[in-house]
Amino acid sequence: MISHGRILYALIIKDWLLFWSDRRTFFFSFLVPVILASAFGLVFERPAPGTASYPRLPVSVVVEDSGPFTEAMVRELLVSPHLQAQQVDRATAMVAVRRHRVPVAIIIPEGFEHAATQRKSLWERPKSESRPQLELLYDASRRGEAEWASGILAEILLKQLCSQQLSPWMSADWQSWLPFQVVTVPVAYHSQSRFNTYTHSFCGMTLQYLLFWGMESGLLFLRERRGAVWWRLRAVAAPLKTLVAAKVLTTAGVGCLQVLVTFTFGWLVFRVTIDGSLVGFVLICLAMCLLAAATGLLVAAWGNVEGHARNISIVVILSVSMLGGLWLPAFLLPEWVREVAMVLPTTWAMQGLSAVTWQGAPFRTVLPEFAGVCAFSFLLFLLAVGRLHYLEKRSV
Amino acid sequence: MRGQDEAVLFWDGVSVFYGACRAVDNVSLTVRAGEVVALTGPNGSGKSTLLRVAAGVCQLDAGRVWIHGRERKSDPRAYARQVGWSPQQSGLYEELTVEENLRLFGRLQGLYGSRLHQNVQRILDQFGLGPRRRQRVGTLSGGWKQRVNVAAALVHSPPVVLLDEPTSGLDGESRDRLLVDISRLREQGCSIVLATHQTEEVAAVADRVVQMHNGRLLEPCTDGFSASASRQRVMLWGQLRCHPPRFVLRLVRQRIPDDVNLELIGKRLRLCADSPETLGHALAELLREGVAFESYRMVAHRVTR
Repeated sequence: MISHGRILYALIIKDWLLFWSDRRTFFFSFLVPVILASAFGLVFERPAPGTASYPRLPVSVVVEDSGPFTEAMVRELLVSPHLQAQQVDRATAMVAVRRHRVPVAIIIPEGFEHAATQRKSLWERPKSESRPQLELLYDASRRGEAEWASGILAEILLKQLCSQQLSPWMSADWQSWLPFQVVTVPVAYHSQSRFNTYTHSFCGMTLQYLLFWGMESGLLFLRERRGAVWWRLRAVAAPLKTLVAAKVLTTAGVGCLQVLVTFTFGWLVFRVTIDGSLVGFVLICLAMCLLAAATGLLVAAWGNVEGHARNISIVVILSVSMLGGLWLPAFLLPEWVREVAMVLPTTWAMQGLSAVTWQGAPFRTVLPEFAGVCAFSFLLFLLAVGRLHYLEKRSV
Repeated sequence: MRGQDEAVLFWDGVSVFYGACRAVDNVSLTVRAGEVVALTGPNGSGKSTLLRVAAGVCQLDAGRVWIHGRERKSDPRAYARQVGWSPQQSGLYEELTVEENLRLFGRLQGLYGSRLHQNVQRILDQFGLGPRRRQRVGTLSGGWKQRVNVAAALVHSPPVVLLDEPTSGLDGESRDRLLVDISRLREQGCSIVLATHQTEEVAAVADRVVQMHNGRLLEPCTDGFSASASRQRVMLWGQLRCHPPRFVLRLVRQRIPDDVNLELIGKRLRLCADSPETLGHALAELLREGVAFESYRMVAHRVTR
């Protein structure tokens, strides 16, 4: 008497051997996510604020006026920790902006000194016709940098005006006279937590390539289902539920190995750490592996021609990866996209992974994300198994 | 023939429809222990469907199928243990090696441990697959792939073997090798049902040839031996000491009657004739020309037309 367990064991061994025999799948499951995650992390890595290597905004400064106020302001611009300023003439600045060498050029026009210093006090309202125009020329594709430069310019200008008008009462250290202090505080579950681009890229690429592995596993199942080997499996009285269970267990098992390999590499090379609950991390990863298995079953059940199924799956996986914030952090996406993306399992999985890795969230905090990914997996699983049962009845 | 009175496989009034198309129409057929039955007929005549029904992968619209008195629906796994089915297309995992495929189908049939190892080894030896055991199936030639396809159906030593077009797409040498393998299976007591287009080839190994057309048996043979429609054939398989020169074979072929079929595959010789006398005459001609036999054996079989 052959038990279900023995058939299940034989099928799992078979799927495992098939996985290891396919070098392409092996390459895409283990090497590509590690390479891409490392590349994404490297490209988007930013040094911590306050450090020497913290990025500064490159600007060209064009001075068309002269005087002590203007000179002081230019000096401030050139030494600002937020700017990488270089003084040039207008023509050079225009060429630099047009050729994308600098995103912004600040033009201090003629008459600026006179207009800025003619007032006797800060409370005197200037005449509108006498206000000089400070120009900010910016690269048309980089409006964000222009806004950033505008803010820094306003800060320096106000500082100079305050120094000039309040000089009898104010020392050079004018900020100590302010009745408040501005401090920036990163918010996370853990006080020591800091956003790490490598952690984000390893979470995102692991999840994306788990889905790709699910797709490959599903395509293998599709090939089996459409070939003579399927009938041979059915001839040995292997029930559909056993075949499906074997596929789910193998896909999820290989997925777990994939998570282990990519995160171990990330930890060893880029200090990608799990600052939150380890149990939460394991649960989220298991849910993701189940999601990959359910995705594979869906491909196998609803796919027809392998080539078509592969093309459609790739487009869908890349789309849900991008919208779910697997490539770039979700805050870079428009608000409406983020709201729409809440119907995607990748969004929930990524939120859960981010929470338990760099945000340092405790176990209870990620339970909704865990439940969300499990619910999506269950839904896909139902759709796939329902379809397989329908096909089974139709074909036998 | 061993235990030939015992009915091993029995199709009883089997009908199968594919939509409105009647693939098999009220077919009843018995296969006895150790018997080789060849199902022949044109494409779409229902041969493969009849085998699929017996293999348990095709739903019956009417009738029943028994193997050793057991129906599939009563105990599917026990039924499956009794049957080895080799589908027409290669039902193998091309990415796995020959041995991995055999072990997989052995495991699926409930073999494990030393028994699995022994059975796989036996099948590898029997089909001459030993040197290719670690070769991926996808890299094998068509002939070797077909041998593995058949071997995978036999790894659990089933008493009933169903072979769907086992010789299709094979060259002469591969085909003859496979027919030798089938003859060996019969010697081991397996009941074999072959579906094929090539009546003449399988006639050499089949005890009965049953023709199908439009889903029906042209001559329903529920008793297995319809004397009026059958003829006796005798066959000799011989292992030669060395390969004889071509002119010797040409000379012998000129001297023997037309109904004698003489084929040489490497050092293996096959003679097939309508009577033992004609066969003896052909054998005498071969010996007279100096063809030396290492061993030989004669087989009698019946062809139903």
